[in-house]
Amino acid sequence: MAYVLIAVISVLLVALIAWPLLRGAPADETAAQGDDLRAVEEELQRSLDAIREIEMDHRAGNLSDEDFEALDRDERARAVGLMRRRDTLASGGEA
Amino acid sequence: MTLVGRAALLLAFAAALYAVGAALWSRRKGRREFLASAERGVWAVFAATTTSVVVMWTLLLSDRFDVADVAGYSNRTLGWRYKITALWGSQAGSLLLWMWFLSIAAVLVVITNRKRNRALMPVVVAVLMGIAVFFTSVLSFITSPFETVSPVPADGRGLNPLLQNPYMESHPPLLYVGYVGLSIPFAFAIAALVTRRLDSTWITSIRRWTILSWMFLTIGIILGSRWAYEELGWGGYWAWDPVENAALMPWLVATAFLHSVMVQERRGMLRIWNMVLVILTFTLALFGTFLTRSGILSSVHAFGESTLGPYFLALIVVVLAGSFALLISRLSALRSENSLESYISREAIFLYNNLLLVGLAFAVFWGTMFPVLSEAVQGQKITVGQGFFNQVAAPIGLALLFFTGVGPLIPWRKASPRELRRRFAWPLVIAAIAVIPALYFAQEGAHWWAAAAIVLGAFTIACIIGEFWRGMKVRHQLGGISWPGALGQLLTRNRRRYGGYIVHLGVVSIIVAIACQGAFSTQGDLALRTGQTGEVAGYQFTNEGGTRSRDDHKMSVGVALGVSEGGNRFATLNPGVDVFTAQMQRSSEVAVDTSPFRDVYVVLVGLTPDGLARISVFINPMMMWIWVGGIVMVLGSLIAVWPSRRRREAVAPAAAGADGRVRE
Repeated sequence: MAYVLIAVISVLLVALIAWPLLRGAPADETAAQGDDLRAVEEELQRSLDAIREIEMDHRAGNLSDEDFEALDRDERARAVGLMRRRDTLASGGEA
Repeated sequence: MTLVGRAALLLAFAAALYAVGAALWSRRKGRREFLASAERGVWAVFAATTTSVVVMWTLLLSDRFDVADVAGYSNRTLGWRYKITALWGSQAGSLLLWMWFLSIAAVLVVITNRKRNRALMPVVVAVLMGIAVFFTSVLSFITSPFETVSPVPADGRGLNPLLQNPYMESHPPLLYVGYVGLSIPFAFAIAALVTRRLDSTWITSIRRWTILSWMFLTIGIILGSRWAYEELGWGGYWAWDPVENAALMPWLVATAFLHSVMVQERRGMLRIWNMVLVILTFTLALFGTFLTRSGILSSVHAFGESTLGPYFLALIVVVLAGSFALLISRLSALRSENSLESYISREAIFLYNNLLLVGLAFAVFWGTMFPVLSEAVQGQKITVGQGFFNQVAAPIGLALLFFTGVGPLIPWRKASPRELRRRFAWPLVIAAIAVIPALYFAQEGAHWWAAAAIVLGAFTIACIIGEFWRGMKVRHQLGGISWPGALGQLLTRNRRRYGGYIVHLGVVSIIVAIACQGAFSTQGDLALRTGQTGEVAGYQFTNEGGTRSRDDHKMSVGVALGVSEGGNRFATLNPGVDVFTAQMQRSSEVAVDTSPFRDVYVVLVGLTPDGLARISVFINPMMMWIWVGGIVMVLGSLIAVWPSRRRREAVAPAAAGADGRVRE
């Protein structure tokens, strides 16, 4: 009985592993390009979060006007750069 | 049945080995079907390991004493809950649990990365399955949980009575979840290094894994302390035991990483340092597993003499040498995007906090390993006492407490002196007020560390509450929403930041409670005949009679103690001693009366047939706040890690206009 059970488990596991090889390559997007786009989108999301946080900190009195202007200007410039990179990647170009 | 268990482990080993090969082949040849097959290999490892865990639990629950681990760690009278936990009572069983958690974590990584990180995944799978190859080979060829014994004993030896405790049901698995979880950031870091995709993508992918692993390690450490407090009966909760230290070290380095990773995300700095921290964290998690199994250090938590030490040591050497060689080869690609603009900035504070945390981890490592090193160099084992650890940990803990308060109030990049004066005015006033009670409590025994902890704790809490207050005020004024609504919005809009602050509140609670307990606890011994009353630290204890009982499992003695203060009776405590018949092992059942200000903790040392009870009494101030602090830390971690609605949805490109204007 134990041997039958072991044989059944072994066959199932081999079938599980071998199936993608028998079926061929999955039709997903090019790995590197998809990853690059996602990375830029996530970077952009972080940048937008940072802009919100800087604005909230300024409103809460955590940042002086002078510090706020400098930080906000730099972060917005970074966000705009990331948007351009994202648009280029989304249209199939090289970032 | 043992055959099925063994075969399942061998299948897991074979599947893990295949997954490593297929994943690396897919990367080398760009054949995506091999990556898909390797990911199915991860599922196969999970299925096979789950089968062997189920087999092991079946053997334990059906009292199969022909299996060495069942005979050694269970018996007929053991309840079914402890039969389940007996799985991790044995060395091989605990490794099986480690491996099972690793397979679950690897499957979750495969599921959550089906459509992302596809360029990293071949290496991630290879690293995770490489670790699985190590564990399944140890379980298959060196120490199998399915080893049989002959002749078959009529009954087992039973589970160590010290482990028959609810906290021990959950403490080891939670620690293992933490240890195993730390292998995921490591796998992604190695994948980023190998593929040279060293932007922040890998950091984003592992953020939640790291926080969750850190949270589970926190729960594991806190529950372990609670177990030591209730079960070991020495009045304390932390003894700088080697195995306790083994869990603390990766926790400290992971804490450092959780802070420094924000500097990389925000400023593109500390990229090499973050890699070093991830590698060290995982290595220290392996080191913890090595310490408990090598037999090189004695501990109440360790598995004693074992032959596994050299194998784990070899794994640690391979991981360290391989990772650092890879890191060195990529140094030029890991240069920081920015440099430190000011020593008074958020990133600088995070750097100081990192240096303190890693410094403390190194000191703990040094103190833990000193007996081994001294024996190797001088031929004499010199044990480092608690004094060393306390002397190092106290000033570093206070400095960390200070930076916990200061950090959130200092902006990124730089801070102007005028802003600093304005920001720190109220916290400094609160700290100045806290000096008065702190000095009052501290003056008698010159407990200056405790006084400093109270003052810094007040300062830090004022800083955190100030942050909440300012954030709520802005939301309240801008949106015209209620104050509770403003708090809710604050937490949901920036979970990571405010969840982190809640974690900090828990840290303050724990550090202040530890300092107060260490400085102001009182201990006294009493010998009381039935009806007699004795006093310790202003509390009166009356012996109201002893009890004796016996069942199949254990013999128990206990005493009922009426406890009063100033003539007001407020509790009846029933400390006892159990002697477990299977092992003839003694276990104290301490009795504790808890209030927010102190624990009255009583241990029964002995009870003579004529009713004379010898008891040890500990009055431990502020103890409750250690456990409350732990709960608050977990709550804060859950808030920080919970996905926000915005994140759950796809990233919305329309969230900002081309001018960078952001709409909430």
